[in-house]
Amino acid sequence: MTAAAILARGLGKDFGALRALDRLDLEVGDGEFFGLLGPNGAGKTTTVHLLATLLAPSRGTARVAGHDVAHEGLAVRRSIGLVFQDTTLDRDLTVAENLRFAARLWSLPGRVARPRIDALLRQFELLERRDDPVRTLSGGMRRAADIARGILHEPRILFLDEPTAGLDPRARRSLWDRIRGLRAASGVTVLLTTHYVEEAEPCDRVAVLDHGRLVALGTPADLKRGAGVGSLEEVFLAHTGRPLAEAEGG
Amino acid sequence: MRAVYGIVAREFLRFLRQRGRVLASIGRPFVWLVFAGAGFAAVFAGRNEIDYRVYMAPGLLGMVVMFGSLLSALSTVTDREAGVLRMMLVAPIRRGAVALGKALGATLLGTAQALVVAGLLLPLVQLRPTLAGMLLGLVAVVLSGLALGALGVVLAASIRSIENFAGVMNFVIFPMLFLSGALYPVRHLGPALRAVAYANPLAYGVDLLKHALLSAWAGVGYGGELPVPLDCAALAVFAIAGLALAAWLLGREGGVTHTAFRERR
Repeated sequence: MTAAAILARGLGKDFGALRALDRLDLEVGDGEFFGLLGPNGAGKTTTVHLLATLLAPSRGTARVAGHDVAHEGLAVRRSIGLVFQDTTLDRDLTVAENLRFAARLWSLPGRVARPRIDALLRQFELLERRDDPVRTLSGGMRRAADIARGILHEPRILFLDEPTAGLDPRARRSLWDRIRGLRAASGVTVLLTTHYVEEAEPCDRVAVLDHGRLVALGTPADLKRGAGVGSLEEVFLAHTGRPLAEAEGG
Repeated sequence: MRAVYGIVAREFLRFLRQRGRVLASIGRPFVWLVFAGAGFAAVFAGRNEIDYRVYMAPGLLGMVVMFGSLLSALSTVTDREAGVLRMMLVAPIRRGAVALGKALGATLLGTAQALVVAGLLLPLVQLRPTLAGMLLGLVAVVLSGLALGALGVVLAASIRSIENFAGVMNFVIFPMLFLSGALYPVRHLGPALRAVAYANPLAYGVDLLKHALLSAWAGVGYGGELPVPLDCAALAVFAIAGLALAAWLLGREGGVTHTAFRERR
């Protein structure tokens, strides 16, 4: 068993009367590719925001990279990268200006940031667009720039919140190639949230969330075997009595 | 500190990109000088103590600082809607550093705009301040910028969306302008309005600018009305209290996050 990158015990969050996340127990190993699968509103984004210290837990505890999310916010944020569901880039600035801004926010000295920005722009095929305002980029390119922004400070743990939302199939495929390459090159722990079953298939382990509760956890193969079914889609159906696609938007 | 510098640098870069904003901020005081100045000058024509356009100059500079600082601090609201604020929140920096960076960026922009406008406006109304006056004027501009920039971040952290911005214009910016002594001396106001004026950071900034630029007219009652140290101290208190409040407001869960992290359902 490798050291836990993420450890949550009874973690929960309420928004007023709404129980967004009930009591989540979760352990993600160092270097693991972990998927949070569930329909919209299942509590995936809430989980990510709790682990990234952007929300304060209503109950329970969590440690990320060994640091407590409630009391060691700065240390947690230093260890993680987070790519949000919607872009966080400044549309009026160029790609390079956005990355320089991020480098300063993460206190990277210029001599460290400059070669890294160049390397990332090359790796993400944005070199030719580096001096174009972000608003002129396609959705796929923006996403690539967002991910470059998220890994610029070489985080130990990378959160990807619905990274392919709104992308066409080609941009989606190239995004997955990049994430695969990234994991192979750096061994970064990746926690991915998605409501697309096929995107959870390549994960080492998958946690299935529904209505703020963990309903299943295991490798994709184990989950299918345990439910006696042939796909993760059917795993969701077996655990909740509803198909994932229908639960969507509920 | 690098993060604060990064936030300030971005504010500056954004401002330079927005050509319309640059032109508006430089042109606005001259529009007031021509339209408000012409009308008021005619009304006051009987009293030959001071040319009204000269009297307006410190107030117009104060106005430039106010628009420059408040509007750039209020860009926090657009940052929230565009999602850029989340990039700052997930960075390993304190919320106070975000507030400080925003307020300092606002100060820098307000000061830069006021200096450009001063370079054009003062020769136009034939006002030649002494060297000491210029230095005091610079102090006035920087301190006002800090106080108003911090106030802008407080407003930005309190208002939910850009639609509420019109309310800010009507109930904050215009009363602040009229109750600042920019257009007429505060001493002519009744006690109630005078009390409100002295709760207005811009009033101290404009008063300090009058000390700096209108000292020659102090004898006829158009110079600064309050002691210089009091003006400076009041602006410093507004700046420090504003920054502390802004940092606290941004630090609350939901302070900056209520729109950015609302669950989509």
